[in-house]
Amino acid sequence: MLWYKDAIIYQVHVRTFHDSNGDGIGDFQGLEEKLDYLRDLGISAIWLMPFFPSPLRDDGYDIADHNAVHSSYGTLEDFRKFLGSAHDRGIRVIIEMVLNHTSDQHLWFQESRSSQDNPRRNWYVWSDTDTRYKGTRIIFLDTETSNWAWDPISKSFYWHRFFSHQPDLNYENPAVREQMWNVMKFWLEMGVDAFRLDAVPYLVEREGTNCENLPETHAVLKELRRKLDEQFPGRMLLAEANQWPADLRPYFGDGDELHMAFHFPLMPRMFMGLKLEDRKPITEIMQQTPEIPSSCQWSLFLRNHDELTLEMVTDVERDYMYDTYAESKTMRLNLGIRRRLAPLLDNDRRRIELMNGMLMSLPGTPIVYYGDEIGMGDNINLGDRNGVRTPMQWDGGWNGGFSTAEPERLYAPVIHDPVYGYPAVNVLSQEGSEHSLLHWMQHIITVRRSTAVFGRGTIEFLYPANHRILAYVRRLGNEAVLVVNNLSSTAQAVELDLRSYKGNILIEMFGKNMFPRVGDLPYLLTVGPYQFYWFRLRRI
Amino acid sequence: MREMIISELSQALHELVRGFAHFLPRLIVMLILAFVGWVIAYAAKVVLRSLLRFIKFDKLSENAGASQLLTKAALPSATEMLSRFVFWVVWLGFILLGVSVLGILGLQEQIAKFFLFLPRLFVAMFIMFFGLLAASFFSRAALLAAVNANVPSPRVLSLAVRSIIIVFVLSIVFEELGLAEQTMLVAFGIAFGALMFGLAIAFGVGGRGLAQRFLEKRFVRGRKEENEDEPSPL
Amino acid sequence: MKLAEESYLTDDFLRQLINVGEVDILVGLPTHNNAETIGSIVHAIQSGILRGFPRERAVIINVDGGSRDGTPELVTGASIDDARPASNLHALRTLHSISTKYASSPASEVAFRTILAAAELLRAKACVVMSPESANIEPEWLSKLLRPIYRDGFDLVTPTYRRQKLEGLLITNLLYPMTRALYGLRIREAYSQEFGFSGRLGSKFLEQNVWNDGTGETGVELRFTLAAITGRYRICQSFLGEKEHIERRAADLVPALRQTAGALFSALDPDFPVWSAVAGSEPAPSTGPDQEVLLAPARVNRKRLREMFSTGVAELQSVFQSILSPSTLAELQRIAGTGREEEFHYPAELWVRTVYEFAAAYQKSVISRDHIIQALAPLFRGRVFTFLMENRNASADDVENNIEGLCLEFERLKPYLLQMWKSRE
Repeated sequence: MLWYKDAIIYQVHVRTFHDSNGDGIGDFQGLEEKLDYLRDLGISAIWLMPFFPSPLRDDGYDIADHNAVHSSYGTLEDFRKFLGSAHDRGIRVIIEMVLNHTSDQHLWFQESRSSQDNPRRNWYVWSDTDTRYKGTRIIFLDTETSNWAWDPISKSFYWHRFFSHQPDLNYENPAVREQMWNVMKFWLEMGVDAFRLDAVPYLVEREGTNCENLPETHAVLKELRRKLDEQFPGRMLLAEANQWPADLRPYFGDGDELHMAFHFPLMPRMFMGLKLEDRKPITEIMQQTPEIPSSCQWSLFLRNHDELTLEMVTDVERDYMYDTYAESKTMRLNLGIRRRLAPLLDNDRRRIELMNGMLMSLPGTPIVYYGDEIGMGDNINLGDRNGVRTPMQWDGGWNGGFSTAEPERLYAPVIHDPVYGYPAVNVLSQEGSEHSLLHWMQHIITVRRSTAVFGRGTIEFLYPANHRILAYVRRLGNEAVLVVNNLSSTAQAVELDLRSYKGNILIEMFGKNMFPRVGDLPYLLTVGPYQFYWFRLRRI
Repeated sequence: MREMIISELSQALHELVRGFAHFLPRLIVMLILAFVGWVIAYAAKVVLRSLLRFIKFDKLSENAGASQLLTKAALPSATEMLSRFVFWVVWLGFILLGVSVLGILGLQEQIAKFFLFLPRLFVAMFIMFFGLLAASFFSRAALLAAVNANVPSPRVLSLAVRSIIIVFVLSIVFEELGLAEQTMLVAFGIAFGALMFGLAIAFGVGGRGLAQRFLEKRFVRGRKEENEDEPSPL
Repeated sequence: MKLAEESYLTDDFLRQLINVGEVDILVGLPTHNNAETIGSIVHAIQSGILRGFPRERAVIINVDGGSRDGTPELVTGASIDDARPASNLHALRTLHSISTKYASSPASEVAFRTILAAAELLRAKACVVMSPESANIEPEWLSKLLRPIYRDGFDLVTPTYRRQKLEGLLITNLLYPMTRALYGLRIREAYSQEFGFSGRLGSKFLEQNVWNDGTGETGVELRFTLAAITGRYRICQSFLGEKEHIERRAADLVPALRQTAGALFSALDPDFPVWSAVAGSEPAPSTGPDQEVLLAPARVNRKRLREMFSTGVAELQSVFQSILSPSTLAELQRIAGTGREEEFHYPAELWVRTVYEFAAAYQKSVISRDHIIQALAPLFRGRVFTFLMENRNASADDVENNIEGLCLEFERLKPYLLQMWKSRE
């Protein structure tokens, strides 16, 4: 089992992918139609962004009904059909489960706020003053000034860690815990393979703490996991917790809490290492990453639907990232940078390949953000984080092949600038070109899936004296793969200490050509700008 | 009787003339050699003079202290002296060569000895010159070092160094020239040995403190002398 | 130009340089048996770089002259990189500290040449040489020496210090006035242990043919400053702080003279076209105060200075006859003969003439050049004595004025030197 250790995950919002009924908004039927594309790409799991009924003031994370599908995307039946088709193609489906809060339009909140005596009153966190839980940090710094919001209807304050229209559920209430499990059960019975648990650190609050990562929160999660293992073995829970690695460790428990967690601190350091042309930020964070239980797995990503978050870096590092990656202030949001992968890397094919190479070879399950496999661009003039959530570009035709509707009806305009616009960057033209980014991505995913060592193996960093080279060995049983990445824009020479692997022949994994055997002397390699090697170490 | 005397006389005259005629070509050859020799010697002198000027030989000899000696003796400069010396030696060489052609037996042996002696003469002169140079240099170095180290009687030390080196050089020169070499060697040995012995006693007994300080300065870092308070120059 | 030649960079050092790669800032650190102080010095340097230039690529290069106390290991052990997770300075980037042994005994010329070669190979934009002799290095010194080069485009930054009033007299009484008078630029510390320079200037100097003197004591640091002046590079001075004095011994005077007067005299011949055309002097741009003087009392054995002067004049007469003019020598003998301390006076004008005559004698090589330098030592001691007497109770300003007066005297008598120079031809 442990399918998630070998998976390649594709993150997509159904709204952005493909519109089947011409209303300008992507839907499940459209997504289903494109499943062959995803299967050919080589991914093995789809992570869907929230598609539940919602006022859409936080891109669907403000849920108004947990057991239905938003009408714009189709019906529950459409979803079921899509799920079946995905499973037929060997693709698993991961959906969102927002535990921490709901939309203020949710029925539960409507009832809760209606009066102090309502049975659902205690389902949310109410207070007469806004002074409780002082010192708790505000997450959406650009829009919110407090974690308490005033409700005019019930004349009291309610707690919200995110937007003020997303009141936090009260997990001290067993009824809440019971109900949320029932929601999960609903989807699990339909066949969903895994949940991404949004914002798990903030479930429980307690006075005198920073209200994050509390033991009570872990208890709630452990309970969920127990029930899951009992009733639905083989399903997976993925935590979204933007914390330091040491604080993330408890979410794995002893293998009895969450299966996977995003390795947030690594991601900005990969970008930083690239700009600095120095592997130090990357190796240092990996040195600080704790061991996790053998059944657990990190989840790695380069970009996602949110901003490239710089919460987990020092001020000096943050300033450096801002100055080098986001000179314009409009690109900065909430202590992060809201740009897609290709624009962040100046559309430099070599750097895009290198970052993907690291994504696919560092320990963890990689997540590809939709559109990054063809190098889509972004539109920073769309507010909040919507710049990275534009329609998928399928071809150079009408609306980039996303929808037959009038362009003005689209949920967001298709990117059409000369560099990243749909005539230049689209699936169809890349499928027709042998050396396109899309084909390259298919190829690297194939190579990655050819061995279990990347998903399940250990990692040992080599520390060559040339600090521009990031080199490590992945091992699983008798298999070993040497990965060498040149983080610099110039050609480099590096001597690697491979004494423990003396006698092995290096076989480069993309071309399958042999490189000299490891002897007594340090192994000399020369690497071109931003180039990387994957070598299988073979002793014959 | 008269015919006998006349025929004897004429025979003797004939022999004399024959002998003379036998001798004359050789004489002519000798004179030619002498003349050719003069030309070559003169050319050598001119070439050597320019060469010595080019390498500033006068300067060197000044350093050696040779120039001072020459000026005191009212002799011309070292370059000039050397050039003329070479001129005479070369010419003399050619003349002697000519004389040897004359075939006078005893002389030939002496001439051969002379030519054998020449290289050793040059070597001796060479050693002398550079010996003087070295003596001058090292005596001055000793003088300066002694003055800067505040050692008493620096000039005496300087003179001692100069003397030792000159005596040493002289003994080598004499040995090279083959003049009373044994005597010189023994004399030098005695003088040098005595000097060393005396120095050893003086150094060991009288200069103990000095020796100690010297060794300390050389091998132990960082000890400042009490009475050496001087502001740091840099 | 020879292409096949024995290199003075070892294979191992070259390998380390390859691993460091291109840098923006290079710090050269020559050492010899400095294990006691080197730890805090390297720490100060690293702090200086991380505070002043956190985003720049930097490297510390230690050139060691055969230490036997583990100094190089202490330097390389302080390297900031991911192979040493315990390095406690929080740094954005790797900050290498590498080391090479350039010789088995110290020779500042070879050390400097190695640093210049490394700077050229690593294409460093701004470089600084630090000395482990200065035990009171502050992190800010790095910025003060590097910022004018890195940000303002200067090519050479010489330091200025807060000095004890009676220290550094070789600088204030000989090197500074003479450099100023001849080369026309008022650089206080033309010979210094800490200074900054641009990669441009370093490469240019490396090409020049000043390396063939053979001995290791030609005061190449001074030649470097002079090369910057004659090459019309942009030079400025930066005030660092207090100059801490290592305990010096009297025996250090002659080597110091070689590094300063010797280097200066040997530069005069090749630089003749430049300094003969200069008249007067200009101030050099400075950051911070020009110079500060501390008035702490100093322990000096005045009698000994005077004695060494008198002894020198008497014993070295034969040497001085080759070097000095008869009138100068006569005056010196007269001064040496004075009985009482109060009457002893080695006036500025006579000192200037002395120095200039020495320079001319050096150029003509009347005797061995090293001997000429050694002969200057007793005369310098006499001058020190007079300076001490004049400034015994002087204020900081008075001292500065006296030095300024001496400088003007050097400038005024410059034609005298020119005249002696030309008379050689």
